[in-house]
Amino acid sequence: MWQPDLSQTLWRGFVVYLSAVLAVATAAGATFAFGPALTHTPTLFFCAVVFSSWIGGVWPGILASVLSALALDYCFIAPIFALGIRLEEAPDMIVFVLSALFISGLSGAQQRAEALLRQARNELETKVAQRTTELVRTNGQLWTEIAERKRAEESLIRAQAEIARVMRVMAMGELAASIAHELNQPLAGVVLNANVALRWLAVQPPNLAEAREALECAIQDGTRASEVLQRVRGFLTKGERVKECVNLHELLREIIALTQGELSRNKVMLRTEFTDDLPEVVADRIQLQQIMLNLVMNAIEAMSTVPPGCRLLCIRTAQPGPGTVQVIVRDSGVGLTPEQQARIFDSFYTTKSSGIGMGLRISCLIANAHGGELSATANKGCGATFQLTLPNKHGQRM
Amino acid sequence: MSLGDSTVFVVDDDPSVRRALCSLFRSVGLRCELFESAKEFLKHKRPEVSSCIVLNVRLPGLSGLELQRQLADAGGEIPIVFITGHGDIPMSVHAMKAGAVDFLTKPFRDQQLLDAIQAAIARDATRREQRARTSALHQRYASLTLRERQVLGLVADGLPNKQVADRLGTSEITVKIHRGHLMRKMEAESLADLVRMADRIRVRHT
Repeated sequence: MWQPDLSQTLWRGFVVYLSAVLAVATAAGATFAFGPALTHTPTLFFCAVVFSSWIGGVWPGILASVLSALALDYCFIAPIFALGIRLEEAPDMIVFVLSALFISGLSGAQQRAEALLRQARNELETKVAQRTTELVRTNGQLWTEIAERKRAEESLIRAQAEIARVMRVMAMGELAASIAHELNQPLAGVVLNANVALRWLAVQPPNLAEAREALECAIQDGTRASEVLQRVRGFLTKGERVKECVNLHELLREIIALTQGELSRNKVMLRTEFTDDLPEVVADRIQLQQIMLNLVMNAIEAMSTVPPGCRLLCIRTAQPGPGTVQVIVRDSGVGLTPEQQARIFDSFYTTKSSGIGMGLRISCLIANAHGGELSATANKGCGATFQLTLPNKHGQRM
Repeated sequence: MSLGDSTVFVVDDDPSVRRALCSLFRSVGLRCELFESAKEFLKHKRPEVSSCIVLNVRLPGLSGLELQRQLADAGGEIPIVFITGHGDIPMSVHAMKAGAVDFLTKPFRDQQLLDAIQAAIARDATRREQRARTSALHQRYASLTLRERQVLGLVADGLPNKQVADRLGTSEITVKIHRGHLMRKMEAESLADLVRMADRIRVRHT
């Protein structure tokens, strides 16, 4: 709290008492000068008292009152220029003194109140300033915390994206043999067709029509090979991905093309039931592909122990509600026990010898990040059904 | 060897490969027929000309190796040249043991395949020729009388005329007459020729 120093207090005291003395002197002088014009002699002295107590408070007021009484008695009450008082003048004098004291008391009280008010105001200001500083500090901390939290969230998202990518790379690793075959097939076609074209050119006379046809086939095969590579590369893209309108049927067809080799190698029959007019979804295409690839690869794995004739994978799309779309992947594999069903989306939970138990966890996180969900149920007969539900582009809550 | 009337059957699920192979075979004057699956090939009635199959190991449904086994079980000895996207050693060993002419891994040189096809068709042509010869022998054998067949069997066993006569309870002269007849009917130029023929159609007295 603000503390005036001593010299300042003393100086102020001196000034107010001096002003009280001067005020009374001025009142005396003025009364003396304008005496006959004044109807009531003590008026100016009252003014001096009021002035003094207003300036300095109670004690200067009392000083002014006493000086005024003395000056009044000395100068204006007979015997003039002597400090005596006649008995009949005494009540007037007493009334004056009392009134003057009362006025100084009042003024003093008022001044004290004002001083208190001023002090309170000062204190309040200090308090407000203090609180404001505290608030600013707290606010700063809060911002720092928010920034840290945001950073943490961002790094979590980055970490998740990185895990997702690693899972994609792993999935591609599992598919490597199929992809190599998928790639070798058109490349063999290119070589063969080019050879054939050379042969048609070498005959006499050269058969240009046949050579042209063979070369066109070679081009087609080359394009086919590059499509395979594009699919793989697209799937392994690193970095920020954006959400776009995705046609689920197109996406599923790509996944089927990617896993075709794996399906036929494992003698899995594939049935697709695509509903008409399925609305698009707003999503990260690669991430959705990742879910679908994961589900298809899991299904193939789940069916590896059942006889080849009974391996049926059914991919179905549906519109369960006005704002949602669904992809249902049903296999005829070993199915799920109630315990597996309860824990299947947990991190590091796996029933495979080669799995790390993150595939379905990541798929689930991706589905949630898209405002949808992934669920698993055991079929009544054999196998399991996985259901991916997503808001369509009209029902998007984001 | 003329390849003029020979036919190559191509069984592969990849339409581009089928088309390319067909064009390749046509460029060397071979006829070819294309099949998408093993099942489709089995349903097809094959013409009686020297032929071979170019067969992809991995096929949807019935695989190439399974088709090979089924054809072998059914007695069809048509030579097979396997082609595959990625051949592993056990698979190729299995195929070769089961009588495949060759096992080519894609991508292969066109000449490699044509050489294999040539060998396969030559094998089939030889087989057909032998079969034709055998069936001619069977026909000739069928024209023999019972006694002549008996004589043939014993002669093929290496018995001299006298012993044949003893065994059949007849005179040596009669055996000589039967033998003359059957030599003529079987179109054999010498005894050794006759024994070889008897061997081929597995005629033995014992």
